[in-house]
Amino acid sequence: MTDVPIQMQQGTANERFRSGSPLFDLLSRGGLAIAILAVLIYGSLASPVFFTAGNFVNVLTSMAIVGIVVVGMTFVLVVGGLADLSVPATIACGAILSLALQPVIGPVPAFAAAIALAGFCGLMSGLLIGYVGINPIVATLGVGTIVLGIVQAAVGGVIVYGTNPDTAALVKSRLFGIPAIVLIFMAVAVVGHFALSRSYWGRWTIATGGNYAAAEASAVPVRAVKAGAFVITGLCAGLSGALLGLTLQSARPLVGTGYEFSAITAVVVGGVSIMGGFGSVPRAIAGLVFVQLLTNVMVLQGVRTPVQGFALGLLIAIAVALDVALRRRAGGAL
Amino acid sequence: MTVLVRLVRYRVAVILGLTLLIASLTVSGFPSVTTLGLGLDRSATIGIIAIGMTVLLIARQIDLSVGSTFALAGITAIMLQPVIGIWPAALAGVLAGAAAGAFNGLLSVVFKVNALVATLATMLIFRSVAHWLTDSQPVPGTDIMLSLALSTVHLEIFTLRSALFVGSILLLHFWLTRTVAGRNLFAVGSNADAAEASGIAPGRTVFLAFVFAGTLAGVAGVLQSLTTNTGSPVFGAELIVTVIAAVVVGGTRIEGGRGSALGTLGGVLTIAALTTAMEFESVPAYIQQVVVGLILILLVVLDRTVRPGPRTHAAAGVPG
Repeated sequence: MTDVPIQMQQGTANERFRSGSPLFDLLSRGGLAIAILAVLIYGSLASPVFFTAGNFVNVLTSMAIVGIVVVGMTFVLVVGGLADLSVPATIACGAILSLALQPVIGPVPAFAAAIALAGFCGLMSGLLIGYVGINPIVATLGVGTIVLGIVQAAVGGVIVYGTNPDTAALVKSRLFGIPAIVLIFMAVAVVGHFALSRSYWGRWTIATGGNYAAAEASAVPVRAVKAGAFVITGLCAGLSGALLGLTLQSARPLVGTGYEFSAITAVVVGGVSIMGGFGSVPRAIAGLVFVQLLTNVMVLQGVRTPVQGFALGLLIAIAVALDVALRRRAGGAL
Repeated sequence: MTVLVRLVRYRVAVILGLTLLIASLTVSGFPSVTTLGLGLDRSATIGIIAIGMTVLLIARQIDLSVGSTFALAGITAIMLQPVIGIWPAALAGVLAGAAAGAFNGLLSVVFKVNALVATLATMLIFRSVAHWLTDSQPVPGTDIMLSLALSTVHLEIFTLRSALFVGSILLLHFWLTRTVAGRNLFAVGSNADAAEASGIAPGRTVFLAFVFAGTLAGVAGVLQSLTTNTGSPVFGAELIVTVIAAVVVGGTRIEGGRGSALGTLGGVLTIAALTTAMEFESVPAYIQQVVVGLILILLVVLDRTVRPGPRTHAAAGVPG
């Protein structure tokens, strides 16, 4: 992950973020890599089990589920869509449907249907935000509430259990010692990275987030691009939820609570601007790696849970305040 | 078309009226003073927080941390009771809410962190502090009789907190429509640069709006803790969605510069009437969510697609 800043340099040209001073430049570009390195060194010195393959596999597994959401959420922030707060609902949709539909249509179609429906929820939010012009916070809160209610009503408001142990075994299986979930996450991240940095769609996404009016004038289909970001997040959260459901072999309606904030935390700590127009998937994932490693070190050191939450909250505030200070960009307004 | 425009302008009043009418016809025992008082009392918590949120949204800011502030203020008020007495402790709880709001304002104004991100961070921080202080256990208060006294119904309708809610919203209406400070708030929300050029200090206005929202979340939290005689770190975890829904249903725009106190009153009452009526009919909680979500989406879509012409904030003073 130390090559993140280099990828940033190759990515979209962001001349406007240069502040002139070489020290500020270094801090702004390499700050996260330095921070990750610092956590790695501190963790290795402080705990004998930190720098072991087993621990890293644990960290990777725990970040895979939220990591898939992070990839989608990056698109939402970059396109200037603030945040997708319907993620808990779409995760629950993926988890509940992938288990509940198993006896009816078989495990693989159930998996696909769960993701497709979560994508459809994303499409609903996307249409409201991109085409009707509703504020993303309100739209995703509303759609999320409705979707969660409908999914619960569909299964009668109870916890759903898996009926097919083979699928659980498949999700928990390992290839070369790496859990299947981690491989899926990596595949999603690679696809997301190339889609955002190398494809027309990605360039349109960055252009729309950077300057909506200019992008529209340059014949970028801004409405579709904006809606598309929420479809992508819906699909990602659906996939994440389906994998979570298969891993746990049970799904309750509130299974996705908190994932939206974890994903936003990772993306923001990674330095993706919430004002839109700037950011990349590797950056967001570097943010996720930092947060996960820090949490891991705190757990290994026996830090109490409330203190961990406190540290994490402070971290978001400091990371963003520092980012604003280093870039000398005016922010503050919603 | 003009009928439609009129319907859209007074949509909150229309929906509230429809809800009350349908509920009175179909739900037995709904149209009574007791139900009204009950509905008012349960909407008071949401309502008091919604007052602060209305001011913040008009100033083009948002506070996601109100639920955590709510819990923190309540815990402060309960935990200090044995040390400094009940009323000083309650005051300390409200001050804790104000301090939380000031911290949000500091992050947002001085450090220029986007309000959404800043209050997301403080939501985690305040909630963690609440768990930290209480060891994640609910804390009992010292005087159980006080909670009974607070729940007493006066004039057959009002409890202390519902009276406080209705009184504050009328004050807010007066403040937003009749005072210079209220008008400045709308100016800052619609165009901060233009407001600054006209001699208003947007930073100070926004900071005070955050303190105001924190204080009111604190008041709501202290009242909740005194009424239940408990301080709990999990209080208010789900409040934020309902509060934002109530304010937005009331016609306040999340993009800033537009909103009204009476609209928020309408939004809060609509959601309270809906949930009370549905609970009378034992509709499952998840169906209630779907209804509230649909009304939220329907109203904002109507707001975007049918434009009742340009409106100043003075015109927005009526519910709608």
